[in-house]
Amino acid sequence: MKRQVRMLFLVMVLLVSTAVLFAQGGKATGPSAADAAANLEASLKVDTSVLKAADGQPLLKLSADVPKIPTRPANPEALPDTNPLRWFDMEYAGWDAQKTNIPASPKSGAIGKRITFIVHGDHPWTTACSLGAQKVADAYGIQLKVLSPNWDLAVQNQMIDQAINERPDMLLLIPLDATTAVQQARRVNQAGIPLILFNTLPTAEAMNYAITWTGPDDFGQMRKLARVFADELRARNPGAKELGIAYVQHAPGGSPYFARSYGPVSELAGYAPEVVTLDMQAPGFEADRTMQLVSDWLTRFGPRLKGIFAADDSAQALGIAEALKKAGRADVVVVAAGNSKIGMDMVTDGSLFAITYQTAEGDGALAVQTAADWFNGKELPNRRNLPQHIITKKDVADFYPPQW
Amino acid sequence: MHNKPMDKSKLLAIGDRFRIYILFLVIFIFMSLFAPRFFNSYNLTTILRTVSMNATLALGFSVVMICGHLDLSIGRTATFAAVIALLLQKSVGYGLSVPIAIAAGVLVGLVNGLLVVKVKINSFIVTIGTMTILQGATYTMTGGNSVSLSGSNVFAISDFLSRPLLPMLPPRVILTILFVLLFHFFVTHTQWGRNFYLLGGNKMTAWLAGIHTDAVTVSAFILSSTMAAVGGILFAMESSAATLNMGENSLMYVVSATIIGGTAMSGGKGGVLKSVIAILSLEMLYTGTILFGLGNEVKIFISGLILAFVVLYEAYASYKHERTLGQRSELLKEVAMLKARVPK
Repeated sequence: MKRQVRMLFLVMVLLVSTAVLFAQGGKATGPSAADAAANLEASLKVDTSVLKAADGQPLLKLSADVPKIPTRPANPEALPDTNPLRWFDMEYAGWDAQKTNIPASPKSGAIGKRITFIVHGDHPWTTACSLGAQKVADAYGIQLKVLSPNWDLAVQNQMIDQAINERPDMLLLIPLDATTAVQQARRVNQAGIPLILFNTLPTAEAMNYAITWTGPDDFGQMRKLARVFADELRARNPGAKELGIAYVQHAPGGSPYFARSYGPVSELAGYAPEVVTLDMQAPGFEADRTMQLVSDWLTRFGPRLKGIFAADDSAQALGIAEALKKAGRADVVVVAAGNSKIGMDMVTDGSLFAITYQTAEGDGALAVQTAADWFNGKELPNRRNLPQHIITKKDVADFYPPQW
Repeated sequence: MHNKPMDKSKLLAIGDRFRIYILFLVIFIFMSLFAPRFFNSYNLTTILRTVSMNATLALGFSVVMICGHLDLSIGRTATFAAVIALLLQKSVGYGLSVPIAIAAGVLVGLVNGLLVVKVKINSFIVTIGTMTILQGATYTMTGGNSVSLSGSNVFAISDFLSRPLLPMLPPRVILTILFVLLFHFFVTHTQWGRNFYLLGGNKMTAWLAGIHTDAVTVSAFILSSTMAAVGGILFAMESSAATLNMGENSLMYVVSATIIGGTAMSGGKGGVLKSVIAILSLEMLYTGTILFGLGNEVKIFISGLILAFVVLYEAYASYKHERTLGQRSELLKEVAMLKARVPK
């Protein structure tokens, strides 16, 4: 009898403690803002403009370009790929966002805030991006939790749910995909957690549920690169009536795929109509597959192929250079998107003509800085773009050592 | 005198038989006690929602593996069906697009099964081929883009599938549980289901026993592709979107979990319930790594470690079994004890 009572008591204790634990799980346990005003005052004094990226460039630099947003055509998708307005919904996504249920800034300062930082996958670029984010977080004393789903949508969704479970003060997210970002942003928005999207430009609808978006203006950057590319093609082929080029594309689906293919296509249609697209292929990010593709192009198009526009300045660029070297085609102009060590070394040795300045550290840093600005009660635009710059042999030395 | 070693071996046998349940309990208790914010209804709901897709995929995959085959096309079938369901939704609604997408899954399974049993191609080769064809077909259908839907109706369905109807149980999870119970019952309590084990254990014996081995094999592939399609469709309906690589990572995850769950790659052994419990265990482990603030690499490392341990253990068990094949283990033990008593 005594034993039974003891057992019953034990079971009851177990049940009660389980219930207490279970109930506590759902509650927020964030750090208390003991003195919001003092925090805000101290937070506003933090100077992040002195921070530097690994390449010696300022870590935080906003684009000085004033966005000129054209009027949206009635049906952009009906326009040809060569018309820049065909890409209106991607290029200008978010500038006119109809914000829904966006929480107001607490104006309580950024110091001590908890931010969950969900990236897209494991990559040297991501490491540099997270490093930049951490530098700004350290300056503000922000607790930054970095999570990587390794390009798995199900895992990223799970991480978002985990973040909702943990109730951070802010969620910073690189959506894996422009279109799936809508449901992800909506979910975070419904949970009442402030959200800033960064790096990958989502669809306009996703922007409605986020405070803002920060990152590179990939379309703008590619348009700039396309002009530099066309100038060099003309310089190397004076008087040519046709300048045949091919595109090594990004992985299909994401915004870089469109920006780095159709950004230049639509730009060159107006700026250099003599530039003709011979082919576009997405071989992935393996040097050997890219080399095979370019070798096939060289056989197929022969001297008609005057230039190659690549979506990636590392593995893809290596494959292109190898194929051109084997074929003895030093005359082909190659440009690529990106700012990796491989790309910069290739610009230095002349196998790449130009690459884009895409600060990985700055990308992460800008997202965290924007979060801090929101905690500090600053007005934020619907988009915050990183600066644009094209790196050539003339100034590549200024960007050493590379960020990744 | 002889009881103690007997008890020990019995205990080990029981431990081996229920190892996945033990692993599940150990992980659950450990995470509940130590992982911050693990033991609460929101997190447990998230875990259940997350495992839904892979658990659905694992049901059919386990059946194929019990038959002694492999279906490497499940991930791509999930993506293919999800894309069909979403693309057609725009014109005919989910009412028709979902059955068409499931039918596409059935067709994939039928083709896989027929190629294996009639053309006698190894299932590994067949399903790699199907996987590649489906990838190409998906890219062609979508032009390389992800597919997404928006609008209040679509979001209402998405919200319905993801919000709990009962505590911790959203409809998608309830559906998955129903599928699991149905499959478990089918595989363990019906003649056709038990035929999968007979076939995987020894094809010739199964044939001599009067089992239509070709039909059983084809049915296993159809079940696998159908469940892959269902898993992909439900995931896409909840996300209102389908990416072109959404099923890519599921394959390795499901294969690992099925092996960890005790389904032998040689066939004839295992269970769908055990595969699902293995997926749940791995998911809890992954969630724990996130909650502890550990990186994705730790998660991959741990799951690799568990898989390596299980494979090594299986190899050791198989070696031990082969050594005693045709011998009575209890007699061997008595001989060993007698040897030990003989003074040197």
